[in-house]
Amino acid sequence: MTKNIVAVTACAAGIAHTYMAAESLERAGKAKDYNIKVETNGAIGAENVLTHEDIEQADLVIIAADIKIDLIRFTGKPVYVTKSIPAIEDAAGLIEKAFTEAQVFGKKGSKVGKIQIGNDKEKVGFFTHIMSGISYMVPMVIAAGLILTIANLYAFQKDDLGRIVNWGFDTSDSMGLLMSRLFAVGQVGFKLMIPLFAGFVANSIADKPAIAPAMIGAYIANDAELLGAKAGGGFIAAIAVAFIVGYLVKGLKKIKWPRILAPIVPIMIIPFIATLIISLLVFYVIGQPIAAGMDGMYNGLTWLNDNYSSAPIIIGVIVGGMIGFDLGGPVNKTALIFGTAIFTDTLAKNGIQGANFVPQTATQAAISVAPLGVWLATILFKKKFSKDEKVAATAAFGMGMVGVTEGAIPFVAADPVRMIIASVSGSAVAGGLAAATGCKFFGGIGSPLGTFIGYIEQPVPFITWILCVLSGVLVTALIIGFTRKPMMLAIEEEVAVENE
Amino acid sequence: MNKEIFNEGHIVFDKEATSREAAFRKIAAAAFEKGFVASAEDYYQGLVAREQEATTGFKDGIAIPHCKNKTVFKPGVFLMKFEQPIEWNALDKKPIHAAFALTIPEEGATDHLKLLSLIARKLIDDDFRNGILNETDPAKLTEIMNQISY
Repeated sequence: MTKNIVAVTACAAGIAHTYMAAESLERAGKAKDYNIKVETNGAIGAENVLTHEDIEQADLVIIAADIKIDLIRFTGKPVYVTKSIPAIEDAAGLIEKAFTEAQVFGKKGSKVGKIQIGNDKEKVGFFTHIMSGISYMVPMVIAAGLILTIANLYAFQKDDLGRIVNWGFDTSDSMGLLMSRLFAVGQVGFKLMIPLFAGFVANSIADKPAIAPAMIGAYIANDAELLGAKAGGGFIAAIAVAFIVGYLVKGLKKIKWPRILAPIVPIMIIPFIATLIISLLVFYVIGQPIAAGMDGMYNGLTWLNDNYSSAPIIIGVIVGGMIGFDLGGPVNKTALIFGTAIFTDTLAKNGIQGANFVPQTATQAAISVAPLGVWLATILFKKKFSKDEKVAATAAFGMGMVGVTEGAIPFVAADPVRMIIASVSGSAVAGGLAAATGCKFFGGIGSPLGTFIGYIEQPVPFITWILCVLSGVLVTALIIGFTRKPMMLAIEEEVAVENE
Repeated sequence: MNKEIFNEGHIVFDKEATSREAAFRKIAAAAFEKGFVASAEDYYQGLVAREQEATTGFKDGIAIPHCKNKTVFKPGVFLMKFEQPIEWNALDKKPIHAAFALTIPEEGATDHLKLLSLIARKLIDDDFRNGILNETDPAKLTEIMNQISY
């Protein structure tokens, strides 16, 4: 019976020896009537990829590579590992030698590495793409977030009664002007971080031609004014845009374009087509549901508020949970807008005694829960977070303390399902408790600090508010800690090392 | 073959080089002159560094020096024909008479990189190697190169 051989070739630059070795092995194999299939792991990605069946049927595995190849998929097979040059020099001799000297991989006690092959993007999937985007986004979140934090601290002013409830910058004063500018700088960063993230997620899926369409698409999807909605789609819309663009561009690359067009396909044709398609999709398919959904949620909240005003905890839990859902996205914004609107409406109608503080207080109690919860999780569960994550968490702490929810975005985007559950639960707890205890948030920072930098009426001065918020923070941190697998970012770091 | 990657202007007939390092200098100068690298010196250093990892000298007098380097603008191939045999520590220990020098950017340009990989595969073909070694007419050499396509 004809013997089946599978092989993997790779080299440092991924252009020359990978393919010389592959060609040599294929020729030598055929000359000896073996069935041979060679996967090349070169600079252009893995080609002629070995399928599960190929490996299943193989009598021999040859690895001719100058870089590290993950052998896990060859577990239980006779594997012979060598460099690329022996395959180029004498492939026929190598095959014979491999038949006699190959060792079964994965025998009891043998070590199994988990290093990803640098260029093999297919196998890594959703998680790696998101991670790639996050690694580019984190520096911007931190830089913009910290600047915004400084400006935000300065923005709270005392009113005539000495309560810190006014927010704003006195731009006639040079310090106020500077701070208002710093605030704008932070906002620009937060505005840019969404398209930046989407661009590099798409880049991870389909390389350079995907960056422009994903950035433009995500910008539109996150811009309330362009969409005609009350808020942009936030990072969840950005993930949707990035994946649609990534796989769209991937598809466009597979089309057999006329030869004459080939040079301009990646720089002109694909970006043009993909940008056009994603922009229209965002406007007509993504934007309208966001706007309609926000209106629907807003009406739902109004109904709830009208019918359940005697049970503030229900309102508190719901708007609190909404704050933690998408961290600055449409659900979060709807709750915030609702809270402010109900407060100002009832204040205008009934005066300060009759004003409805519930939704506003709950949203403000919830606003810092996600970033602070993430931070607390990295403190309580040190082993489950990488070094990079701990740095990002410190920045999230700073942002959380001044009520900037966005600080948690890198963590939530990295692991949406688990983190959204954790964030919503904690935020709902904080919102519900603040509402149930009858705290009244007049103004200030939506964080534990709000009781000092701000004005909050509460049963036990200072303590009630802080406890409400911290309970939420603790719930979020514990859910993250107990449901999370250790070291989510570890894979990303390995991929980064491989790519260097 | 794609004209941006290789055309008749990428063939260099060199009479002077007698050492591998001198050959690298010639290659770097050609790549710089045609606008494929930002710095001839950086590209030269890249070639030397790559060579230290493992020889790029193949067999029957052909080498495929290359490096992946920041200084490279775009993928390209230069065909160097050396009048004087060059000691290259090739796999068969024979001196080198011709070299395919590749410029490899650090990322992107997938379609073009694929063509470079096809050149590497083609080196295993005896007829291709003989054609490159024996032919001296630039037009004929270009013709041989143009057979490479996917």
